Amino acid sequence: MIPISYNIRSLAVRKTTTIATALGIALVVFVLSSSQMLSNGIRNTLGKAGQSDHAIVLRKGADNEMSSNLETRLINLIYAAPGVKRDDSGQPIGVAELVLVIALEKPGTSGMVSNVSVRGVSDNVFEFRKHAKIIAGRAAQPGADEAVIGKRLRGQFAGLELDQSFEIKKNLNLKVVGIVDAEGSSQESEVWTSVDIIRSAFGREGLVSSVSVALESPAKFDTFRAAMESDKQLGLQTLSEPTYYEKQSEGTAGLVNYLGGAIVFFFSVGAIIGAMITMYAAVAHRKREVGTLRALGFSRATILLSFLLESVLLSLLGGLVGALASLGMGFVHFSMMNFNSWSEVTFSFDPAPEILIGSLLVGGIMGILGGLFPAVQAARTSPVEAMRE
Amino acid sequence: MNLATIALKSTRRNLFRSVLTVLGVAVAMLAFLLLRTVLSAWMVSAEFAAKDRLATRHKVTFIMTLPKRYVEDVRKMPGVQGATWMNWFGARLPGHEDAFFGTFAVDPPSYLEVYDEVVVPPDQRAKWLEDRQGALVGAQIAKQFGWKVGDKVILEGTIFPGEWEFTVDGIYTATKKSVDQSSFYFHWNYMNDSLPASQQEQIGWIASKVPNAGQAATIAKQIDQLFEPRDIQTLSMSERAMNTSFLGMISTLLDAMQIVSLVILVIMMLILGNTIAMGVRERTHEYGVLRAIGFLPKHLCTFVIVEAGALGLLGGALGLFCGFFLINNAVGRIMEETFTGFFPYFRVATEDMLISIALSVALAVIASIVPAYQASKLPVTDALRKLG
Repeated sequence: MIPISYNIRSLAVRKTTTIATALGIALVVFVLSSSQMLSNGIRNTLGKAGQSDHAIVLRKGADNEMSSNLETRLINLIYAAPGVKRDDSGQPIGVAELVLVIALEKPGTSGMVSNVSVRGVSDNVFEFRKHAKIIAGRAAQPGADEAVIGKRLRGQFAGLELDQSFEIKKNLNLKVVGIVDAEGSSQESEVWTSVDIIRSAFGREGLVSSVSVALESPAKFDTFRAAMESDKQLGLQTLSEPTYYEKQSEGTAGLVNYLGGAIVFFFSVGAIIGAMITMYAAVAHRKREVGTLRALGFSRATILLSFLLESVLLSLLGGLVGALASLGMGFVHFSMMNFNSWSEVTFSFDPAPEILIGSLLVGGIMGILGGLFPAVQAARTSPVEAMRE
Repeated sequence: MNLATIALKSTRRNLFRSVLTVLGVAVAMLAFLLLRTVLSAWMVSAEFAAKDRLATRHKVTFIMTLPKRYVEDVRKMPGVQGATWMNWFGARLPGHEDAFFGTFAVDPPSYLEVYDEVVVPPDQRAKWLEDRQGALVGAQIAKQFGWKVGDKVILEGTIFPGEWEFTVDGIYTATKKSVDQSSFYFHWNYMNDSLPASQQEQIGWIASKVPNAGQAATIAKQIDQLFEPRDIQTLSMSERAMNTSFLGMISTLLDAMQIVSLVILVIMMLILGNTIAMGVRERTHEYGVLRAIGFLPKHLCTFVIVEAGALGLLGGALGLFCGFFLINNAVGRIMEETFTGFFPYFRVATEDMLISIALSVALAVIASIVPAYQASKLPVTDALRKLG
């Protein structure tokens, strides 16, 4: 076995080339890791708002809460279904909400508007959604023209900041009285106000978008669902919250994965070629050295391994730089339209150990692919010829 | 034999490396072209959208409707040359649940008048206008689902529940790139009559034609002022402005792609610069000889830069050639068929072709500046002393 320090020194001797090649690989690993982090972030944001012991009831055929309409008379019927959890006083635990999107102006632009999700909630929303907490200000008072906003909305739109107000209808301004933290879920990109305000402001009397209930246990979901969907006349569909939110994240996360995957594919081909050029040059440059090594008795396999190792070392060095740099993206917030709800949601780049390790591995594989042919060429070197040069 | 020929010949000195470099540049250019095309395809919707057609919607939220009587008010506005209305229907095709296509309930006569870039054969047009359950479908989805004129189609409504039956009466194409040829249009009356009384006579938005782009903003403002005192206020803007604001909503994604396309250029420069630097290092001795027999530093510079430019040009041309065929014949078709709503037109733009060629040469030259400078500054004696 040829010592690794031999390879490390060889890389150090050809500094510029080593850096250029490693940088190319670093960029590939950076882009790969970042796009994976973003799609992970999208899944965390959109996909994890649900609790497994919660079920959501929508109108049959509706893709999301926005396109769903349920008549209010159905609410009590849903609450009365088997499997719904009741509190100490025997009251069913659930919320009936109205969701829509409104256009608000983006600050710093001349009148550009973007869409924000608004959820008309009932008074018990914070008891029902345990992951949501007020982190600044207070909850909205029932009956008052007040709203709370998710923390990711702060400053993203005109009027969406503590103690400021925004217009939802002519002569109807809602004052922001509190900021909500919802453990990174998409609810942090929502405005919450009383369902009655939304109903009267938008003429939605007698309607809600969805009814969510707490179940006695996650296992009761099938019982509940069977009760809901057995009467076809009602036209309801029932989903567990995790399933519902998972479906909401599919489109957007898919787009990012698709685009990211295509980009990474081309990038890696480019970087593999870069590594190949470098390694071929390294082999050609050290022909005499290789000949000497062979003459000293190192086998072809050892030489092959040594050059392969050098290439992997080179690419891992690049990969490490790329992966570390991608961690920096964790501080970046990415505000983008969610294609399922047509409203703006702020995503973050969420790192995960498997993403970083996976990206590093891809870097290493690029090193193997780029180094294989040059290493074979090195191993084939005939000692006599090489030393004659 | 002039200096450039010598430079070009030196690309054959290490032919294998030159080939690899050209391949690397080609792959980078291909990726660059693909990204540019995704971006342009998105921009097309804004660039080609009508500036002389206004859309009037609910001021606060696009999911709320307007009363249908608003259409008559818009038609009476001075300057408005015609108006139509439509509703977003929202439907899935049973068996193809994942396929996304736009479904709109429209008023056929006024729709065809206001959207005059939509092309329908006269006989199909006449048939559609007559048939209350008739549908006009885009050529793209007709092909995708194998629909022919006369076929019965059943859609499942996502907003208006139930199964809706239609007959395909016509297949439209368009004279403009921005028109999505994957939409499904049908009679507004058919939908309206099937809805409960409380949801009837409601429209999604009004599209109106104005004489020219210059008047669009003024008329849009006048329309909004007209409805300001009413129950429901409106927001009007030209289709161009509307599509631009849509792009604004995904601007971060577009920005990210712009950045990524710059990153790929950096990778390309690294590959090129590396190759050139290696060549210069290997030929140090030779450059010493050239200097000794009277070539000037500027000549050495020319050798290095012309060689780099040639590699860049070759790589760029190869990337463009492959990219052009790959995108226009394979990827573009797939994109147009699977993401019709997003990318009605996915082809390589001429300006992107020119940009990619120009960039590959320019970046190659830039990447070779440092090695070229180093080669020209070498002291002759040192260079001669160096071997290999």
